[in-house]
Parts: sequence; structure tokens; C-alpha cells
Amino acid sequence: MVRLSGIQRDVLSLYRSCLRMVRQKPVESQNNFKSYIREQFRAHLGVNKKDFATVEHLLRTGQRKLEMYSQPGIKNISR
Amino acid sequence: MSMLRTGLRAAPKARVFSTTATRAILPAGPQVIDGTVNDAAKIPETNPTHGSYHWSFERLISVALVPLTVAPFAAGSLHPITDAVLGATLVMHSHIGFQNCIVDYIPHRKYPKSLKAAKWALNGATAVVLYGLYEFETNDVGITEACKRIWKA
Amino acid sequence: MNASVFARSALRAAATSRTAVPVSVRGLASVATSQTAPATPETKKPLMKKFQVYRWNPDEPEKKPYMQEYELDLNQTGPMFLDALIRMKNEVDPTLTFRRSCREGICGSCAMNIEGTNTLACLCRIDRDTSKVAKIYPLPHTYVVKDLVPDLTQFYKQYKSIKPYLQRKDAPTPMKENLQSIADRKKLDGMYECILCACCSTSCPSYWWNSSEYLGPAVLMQSYRWIADSRDQFTEERKAALDNEMSLYRCHTIMNCARTCPKGLNPGLAIAKIKKELAFGSS
Repeated sequence: MVRLSGIQRDVLSLYRSCLRMVRQKPVESQNNFKSYIREQFRAHLGVNKKDFATVEHLLRTGQRKLEMYSQPGIKNISR
Repeated sequence: MSMLRTGLRAAPKARVFSTTATRAILPAGPQVIDGTVNDAAKIPETNPTHGSYHWSFERLISVALVPLTVAPFAAGSLHPITDAVLGATLVMHSHIGFQNCIVDYIPHRKYPKSLKAAKWALNGATAVVLYGLYEFETNDVGITEACKRIWKA
Repeated sequence: MNASVFARSALRAAATSRTAVPVSVRGLASVATSQTAPATPETKKPLMKKFQVYRWNPDEPEKKPYMQEYELDLNQTGPMFLDALIRMKNEVDPTLTFRRSCREGICGSCAMNIEGTNTLACLCRIDRDTSKVAKIYPLPHTYVVKDLVPDLTQFYKQYKSIKPYLQRKDAPTPMKENLQSIADRKKLDGMYECILCACCSTSCPSYWWNSSEYLGPAVLMQSYRWIADSRDQFTEERKAALDNEMSLYRCHTIMNCARTCPKGLNPGLAIAKIKKELAFGSS
């Protein structure tokens, strides 16, 4: 097991809390949320792990989006 | 519209600079926001010992230093007690000053251990200086006399 | 810094003289009028001025921020930096992003760092010396959302934490206002005018280092605005909320706040008054 840096753990915990958020959503739309989350994280797989400014920005926007999408009024997501 | 366009030219030249220094000493770190965007920031506990009393004490010492510095030279007499009070006040004054620097520049949120270490290092340094002054006053000439001798030397 | 302060006070003087003779300068106020007004444009030589604007696109987060250069003819642009920015966006580069709303210094949206001073773009006159390049940055020490748009979340959260509204312990009497004497009202002058543009807070070194805990000049001045209000009955609670190591006492009277305030207010004075009231009781 590789020892993860602090910022890598932050990214993972954001990913986990995103997946946890999915469980609060209606069953029929859960797959849509899940694929959206995967896509959002995969889009930035190429970011250098030493590029802290970028990763921190992505974390920041990710938190913001998570906060918005976890509102109970949001029932489904589509592209 | 064409007349307007003539006055405009977007120069393609763009100077690149880097915000992330190659060797950042204390990088700003990620933005930390407690709670949601719509929550109010947390109000710290009321603590006058570190708040208003501390501030009043700080000002009191600063003001007290003015007569204490002038008095021994104006009066011309060298009383060991005024000398001792001057020394103690000076040390308190610089202690509070350094404490402010530490609290300002070592953020509690990011470096809680360094903050604690720095505060204790300062306490230790102050204690050593106080002991040194005590020795200087009892076994040597004292601050005022030392200043006088250096001035005349 | 000093030179820019002088320049700005000169600009203020120019602005006041402009109100005295409004007709002569009014024609330049916007691009649209210069298009329709037949009087001057043909005869004036173009006065090309270079602007360097901070650019950063969140859609390409790995690309570092850079300065983009634009060149405008000042004779066809309005007098203020906001006019120039709007013109750049409309006619040169629609991707340029900045906040603006009222274009007359009352909304506080267009706060940015122009020529090294935090100010409102709509109140900052363009220097007509074309040999110098005008540099425009977002507010310093803020997390940038895009180009010139700073993230003010923490600033607003702190503003919310001081409870910026009237608090009373007794129930309101129906059909009656909370009255205030003229002298009591006068105490609020110089504080209620604040538009929360965050120019002062982001110019304060103490706020740069400790923005998570120190409230910053703008929020502290608003806090004092409610402490000083004779109608508010939670004065002691408000003071107790500030009486700790970080919230208020990180102010070391650097006074950048008063220097930079585009509305000419003095947050430093308000902070000094809070400190005085906390030390000696209410005055």
C-alpha cells in the first residue's frame, strides 16, 4: 500500500463523500449521479500530483458542487 | 462600428508568470471553509485575558516605558529599584511584541504544533533574559549605568 | 504607494471639478455616445494605451495565470477603468471575465487591484500617460474564481457572523418606528456608507495572514456600525463576540484600509473605537 500524501487523501475523501451523497438520492437516478461523479473525477486524472495549486482549485470547486448537488431538492442529473 | 474597431487591437503577446513559486516558503494552502457557504463564520469564545485585558496591559506597559526610560537620567540618581522596574517592563514589552509576531505569522489552523513550540520557546527566552537581568542588576552595574558608560565610552 | 495615493486624491479633485462643469466631459462617458456625437472623434488623434490584465481560466486549471495585453484608443473610451474593461470585453475579447453592476461606485462589484491599489474600477480614472502600461489584477490574497473575479465566500461568512441587523430585547411596539436623535444618527456617518467591496480587507496584511480568524477592516467597521447604533440593544453581546485574541486584536493599525477605501471611509478609526470601548467601557 502506497502512503498517500495529505492532498491525495483530501481528494479521496471528497470522492467518498460524493458517493455517500448518491445514497441520499432516489434509487432510479443514483446511476446518473454516479456516472457524473466518475466522469468529473476522470476528466482530471492527468493532473500532476505535485501541482498543488491546481489540485486545490479542483478540490475547492468539487466541494462547492457537492454542496450544491447534495441539496434534497435535486433529484436527478443528466447530460 | 468600423471606425471603432480601428482604435482596438488585441495584442497577442502574453507574458506568462507563475503564481506557484518553485520553492514556496509558506504556501497559502487550500481554502478552508467551515460549514456551507451560507453558514456564518464561527464566533470564537469570549476571552478578555487574550483580548481586551491583554490589549490594555500592552498599552499600559508601552506608556509606562516612557517615564521609566527618562526618569533615571533626568533625576540623575541611580536607584536599583527603578532600574529593576525598567528592566522588567522592557522584557514584558518585547515579550508581548514577539508574542504578536508569533500569533500573526504561525497560523493556529495550519501549524498548531509549531505555534505551541514557538510560544514556549519565547517563554523560555523571556525567562532566561529575566534571570540574566537579575544577575546583571545584583552582581554588575545595572542597565542605566551600563547605558551611561557606553554613551561616554 | 504614496505616489498612487497622491494620484488618486488628484483624481478625486478632478472628479469634483467635473461635477462643476458637466457638459464638456459628459460626451466621453460611454462608447455609445461617442458613436453618435458628431463633435470630436474625427479631429482627435488616437491615443493608444496598453493594458495588462490578469487572466486565468478555471476550465484549464493546469495552465498558469498570465498577463494579457490589450490596447485601446483612450479618445474612444470612457474615462474610467471599468469603461476600458467593458470595451475590451465587448469588442476585443468576450472571454474576459469581471464583476460589474452599477458602474457608479455604489454596488462594490468591480473591486480589483488597479496599478497596485485596491479600488473600484468604475471610480478609477485611466492615466492618460500612454508611455505607462496599466496593470489590472484581481483583489490580492483572494482565491480567484476566474480572471478578475475573486472568491469572497469567507468575507461574506464573516459579515454574517457579526449579525449585521438591528437586534432588540424588547418586543417592537406596533405601528411605531425605533426613533433616534440626530446626534445618535450622526455617529453612523462614515460607516453606513460602506458598500462591502472588500478593497480594505484584501489590502490588510493582517487579513492576508489570518483571514480565517481575523475579521478584517470592512467587517469590523460594520460591527462597530451596530455597536454604535443607539437603537441596537445587543451592544454588550456584540462586544463580547469580538473580545478574543483573533477577531479584533489582529489589527495592528497598519491603516492600509483607510488609504485604499474607494469611498473615502476610515475603517481603522472604527476599529480603534471598538478597542477603546472594549478597554474603557462604552463612551
